[in-house]
Amino acid sequence: MAEIIVVTSGKGGVGKTTTSASLACGLAQRGKRVAVIDFDIGLRNLDLIMGCERRVVYDFVNVIQGDCTLRQALIKDKRIDTLCVLAASQTRDKDALSDAGVRRVLDELAADGFEYIICDSPAGIEKGAHLAMYFADRAVVVVNPEVSSVRDSDRILGLLASKTQRAERGNGAVKEHLLLTRYSPRRVASGEMMSVDDVREILGLDVVGVVPESPDVLSASNAGTPVILNGDSDVSGAYQDAVARLLGETVPMRFTQEPRKGFFARMFGG
Amino acid sequence: MSTNLEFSLPEAAQALPPVIDIRYGQVGLVHVRVRTTDPGVILDELTGRIAAAPHFFRRTAVCLDLSALDQVPEVAEIRAVIEAVRRAGMLSIGLAGDSATLDGVASVLNLPLLSGLRTAIRSVPVVQPPQAVPPSPVPATAVPAQAPEPTAADSSAPALIHTQPVRSGQRIYARHRDLIVTAGVGAGAEVMADGCLHVYGALRGRAMAGAHGELAARVFCQDFQAELVSIAGVFRVFETIPAELAGKPVQAWLTGDDLHFARIGG
Repeated sequence: MAEIIVVTSGKGGVGKTTTSASLACGLAQRGKRVAVIDFDIGLRNLDLIMGCERRVVYDFVNVIQGDCTLRQALIKDKRIDTLCVLAASQTRDKDALSDAGVRRVLDELAADGFEYIICDSPAGIEKGAHLAMYFADRAVVVVNPEVSSVRDSDRILGLLASKTQRAERGNGAVKEHLLLTRYSPRRVASGEMMSVDDVREILGLDVVGVVPESPDVLSASNAGTPVILNGDSDVSGAYQDAVARLLGETVPMRFTQEPRKGFFARMFGG
Repeated sequence: MSTNLEFSLPEAAQALPPVIDIRYGQVGLVHVRVRTTDPGVILDELTGRIAAAPHFFRRTAVCLDLSALDQVPEVAEIRAVIEAVRRAGMLSIGLAGDSATLDGVASVLNLPLLSGLRTAIRSVPVVQPPQAVPPSPVPATAVPAQAPEPTAADSSAPALIHTQPVRSGQRIYARHRDLIVTAGVGAGAEVMADGCLHVYGALRGRAMAGAHGELAARVFCQDFQAELVSIAGVFRVFETIPAELAGKPVQAWLTGDDLHFARIGG
C-alpha cells in the first residue's frame, strides 16, 4: 500500500521543492521505492533540483492526457535506483490537471509497487495545490519561522482538515507534520526570528524537522543534487533526521541551538 | 435519546445478587401546559388535539405544566384537571411550575414536581432584540456545524463542541447555542455563536458571541490574543493587545454599549 505524502506550504519560496527532493531521496536511500511528482504545472522546478531536467521527455500532463504511459514518463534517478521522478509540464497550465487523471496516476503508481509517493505542491491554494493535497495520507507543511509563512501554513492546515479525500470521506484525518526551513538559531536568539517553540505553539502541531539556513541549499540546487545527498552539510543531517522521524524513529532535534562547540566539532561530532 | 448511569453498589450489597438495579434514565416527556383550570375546556381541547394522532398519545406520560396559570390553583382544581387529562387518554405523572408555590399542592397530591426551574425560565416572555450582526457571506472554507442545528426555542440545546484547531480562513458558527472550542483559534479564523463562546486554547482570530443580538452572551478564552471581539454587535479591534491581557485567561461581557474585558481567576 503506497503512502501519499504531500509537501505543501501555501506560501511560495519556503523550500517545498527542496524538501520534496530531499525527503524522496532520503526515503529511497533507505531502500523504499519512492516516486516524487511535481504538481507545479507551468513552473516546473523539481527536475532541476533533482538534476534530471535534460531527461524529461514526457511529463505528468502527458500521462494524464494519455499521450504516453506512466512508465514512459517516469524518470529513474541515476544515483538511487528505487527513486523515480515525474516532472511537471512547463508549457501547460494548471487546468491541464484533472481530479480523475491525478487519481489514476496515483493508483497506477501504487499498483506498480511504489511505497511512497511524494507530491510536490505548488504555492497558493488554487487547483494545483488542491489536487496535490487531495489524495494525501500525510502532509509535510513547510514553514519558515516568520509570521506570513506561519499564517499561510495555518490556512493550508485548515484546507488539509476539510478539503481532502480523507476529510470528505471521514476515514481518518490527514496526518500533519511541520517542517521548519531556513532556521537560524543565531537570529532566534537575537529575537529577529520566531523560535521552533513559537511556531509549534501557534500551529499546534509537532515538528518533524528543523532545517537550518545554509548556503549549501543554493549550491545544491545549482548543481542539481538534492541537498540531502551533500553529506557534509548540516542541512543534509537535518533532512536525514526528518526522514527518520517520518518513518517513526525518535531522533533528538539538532541544529536548533546556536553552536557552542567549535566548527569542526559541529561538522564531525553530530 | 436516553442515557443510563448505573450506580455502583456498596460492597456489602455485592455479596448477594441485588434484586434491584437503580439506574438514572432520561426519557422524553410530553408537557401539557394549561392556561385554565376548567376541566371541561381542557378536555374538549385535548380531545380535539389528540384526535389527530390518537395512538401517539394513548396512555402517554405527561407532565402537567402549571406555570402559565395566573394564580396558584387549589388542590381540588388540579385534581379535576388531572382527571380531564386522564379522560383524554393521557396519564399525568408529575407537575411543573414554580417550585416555591407548588411544593405544597404537589405533596398533597403525592405527585413529583418536575423540572420546575427550566419551565419557569421558559415561561418568561422573550423579547427578540433587533439583529445586531448581519450574517456575512460564508467563505468557501466555512466549516458547517456537524450536528443538526437546534431551533431558537430549544434553549436546552447542548453547546456545539469543536475539538480541532480552528485554522486561518475557517469559520465555525454555533446557531442558537454556545460554542466550545477545545483547541486554538488561529489568526484570521472566525468563531461565532448565538450564545456564549468558550475557547480552551489560544484565541488569535475573531470571536463573536451573541451573534443574533443576545446581550448577555460572553466570550471566555484561556489565552487571549484576539484580533477582534464582538458581543451582540458591539465590537473592539485589537491593533495591539493590551499588555495586561495578552496571553492571559480573559472574559469579555457587555454592559450597555460598553464591552468589558477582565482576567479570569485573578
